[in-house]
Amino acid sequence: MSVETVRRRVTQALEWLLVLLMGIMVLNVLWQVWTRFVLRHPSSYTEELARYLLIWLGLLGAAYGVGRRVHLSIDLVPTRLPGRHRLRLELLIELLVFLFAVSVLVVGGARLVSMTLFLGQVSAALQVKLGYVYLAIPLSGCVIAFFSTLSAWEKGKKLHATSEEERNDESAGGRRA
Amino acid sequence: MNWAEVAVLLVSFVLFLGLGVPIAFCIGLSAGLTLLVGVDVLPAVTTLAQRIATGLDSFALLAIPFFVLAGQLMNRGGIARRLINFSRSLLGMLPGGLAYVHILAAMLFGAIAGSAVAAASAVGGMLGPRMREAGYDRDFAAAVNITSATTGLLIPPSNILIVYSLAGGGVSIAALFIAGYLPGFLVGVLLMAVAGWSAIRKGYSDAIPWEGRKVLRDFADALASLFLIVIVIGGIVVGVFTATEAAAVAVAYAFILSVLIYREISWRELPQILLWSSTTTGVVMILIGTSMGMSWVMAYENIPQTLTAALISLAGGSEIGILLIINAVLLLVGTVMDMTPAVLIFTPILLPIVTELGMDPIHFGIVMVLNLCVGLCTPPVGSVLFLGTQIAETSIERVIRPLFPFFAAMLAALLLVTFIPEISLFLPRAFGLL
Repeated sequence: MSVETVRRRVTQALEWLLVLLMGIMVLNVLWQVWTRFVLRHPSSYTEELARYLLIWLGLLGAAYGVGRRVHLSIDLVPTRLPGRHRLRLELLIELLVFLFAVSVLVVGGARLVSMTLFLGQVSAALQVKLGYVYLAIPLSGCVIAFFSTLSAWEKGKKLHATSEEERNDESAGGRRA
Repeated sequence: MNWAEVAVLLVSFVLFLGLGVPIAFCIGLSAGLTLLVGVDVLPAVTTLAQRIATGLDSFALLAIPFFVLAGQLMNRGGIARRLINFSRSLLGMLPGGLAYVHILAAMLFGAIAGSAVAAASAVGGMLGPRMREAGYDRDFAAAVNITSATTGLLIPPSNILIVYSLAGGGVSIAALFIAGYLPGFLVGVLLMAVAGWSAIRKGYSDAIPWEGRKVLRDFADALASLFLIVIVIGGIVVGVFTATEAAAVAVAYAFILSVLIYREISWRELPQILLWSSTTTGVVMILIGTSMGMSWVMAYENIPQTLTAALISLAGGSEIGILLIINAVLLLVGTVMDMTPAVLIFTPILLPIVTELGMDPIHFGIVMVLNLCVGLCTPPVGSVLFLGTQIAETSIERVIRPLFPFFAAMLAALLLVTFIPEISLFLPRAFGLL
């Protein structure tokens, strides 16, 4: 499988998961309203479920956003740099995103998951182990790391190609002179 | 306060931000680096991961994805068009009528959706071409669209006020929502005054005759959309719903209206709409998560308290002086930073200062959002400015001149709202929410 195929598969899987999570979240809160006003017997678990769904939706949505490049940034400097320097800076930005994803989300998140699992913390209403709820953090970190590695690699390749080109141009120019 | 850690926090944050690292990751990285000064790597990253998780674990936050989704359904589902038609038959008989129509439509759209970007694309996308056909200057029309779109951020429901409520440690969302009405109307009315003055000066005459029957017909057509305001805001104010439940009901209502009744959205478009809303949610949530980590680090370093003391002594204890300084700082921040990160980063720093002065957190939330609304319309970075110029197919350089009088109106509104607390606090008090 080529890298492009893997990226497409991951993106598609994320898209379906996000649509599903969002749909369930809406229905879940509507169910809460329904049980409270119509059945007059408020559901005990909907609020907790909604909160946990949001943690998953938010973190996976953020990871998907890295792949789609929709995160807010201040691009005053990158857009004003000439081609090659801009590529270098963009490469650096990808590496910083990668650094955050791996250190805080993957390592810190995994440690949080193992600690809460070890302590055996369970949620009040659903009786879910909290460690599984927090699993969204390292998972999101892995996806972000995956996307940023891919685009860093692409930028590196492009940078390499342009530097070859420039070298060729230079030597061609040298010969002409 | 440990100066080494504060220096690391400030320098790394400004550096990453300037380099163009996405803001959510800037915040996370510099919070992490700051912790590393005094703590080992593993505990530091674990603490941050935990702050992100607990920061997102909030039922109130769920209102944000739901309002985003509801706004998207309304935007594509013909609700915006009905609001525009109603505004046109109501105000179209005035000279420069289309400019008033535009501002009123943006306010009405804001009253049911609550995102400036959605308002700028829905209302501006439809009214911009009509204004040009009627002989309005393209850049003037763009300026009307850009500035009026921000009124929806004050007029409830408003996602940014939910973010503020969270960043401010649980300020009442119901009170914030009600507090936004008068300031939002004030901005709208002042923008209309500027638009009217320009229209008369330039001799725009596109007035259509007033027809009472048409007003009624268009009102009836828009009624189902406007009724959403009653459900959402009425429900929240009376205390029937939480904001999150109201937002979910708004989704159901917008769905029934635009998919089942108007049939302007097909079932096959729904996954796309859900995905788009999830992505927007993800962008906001990771910002909220890392900002919660950052504000925990700042509190751990006592930064807000130290800044409060410094600022109060700097302004010589003068309340007016401090409020002017805060407004100037926020205006400056707003020119380069989008609203959500600005609110998340600066609320924990500035709110303790103003509460020390006896300012109500509800009042400050409104001042902060109104202030940052100006930043959404100013270069170098302004999401509504970018979108508005793009929709009108013009450039930032050209739209700046016609924008200036509108900026003046917004700044006048900002000063009024800052120094007359009652504009914000009258309604929440009248409804017993304060």
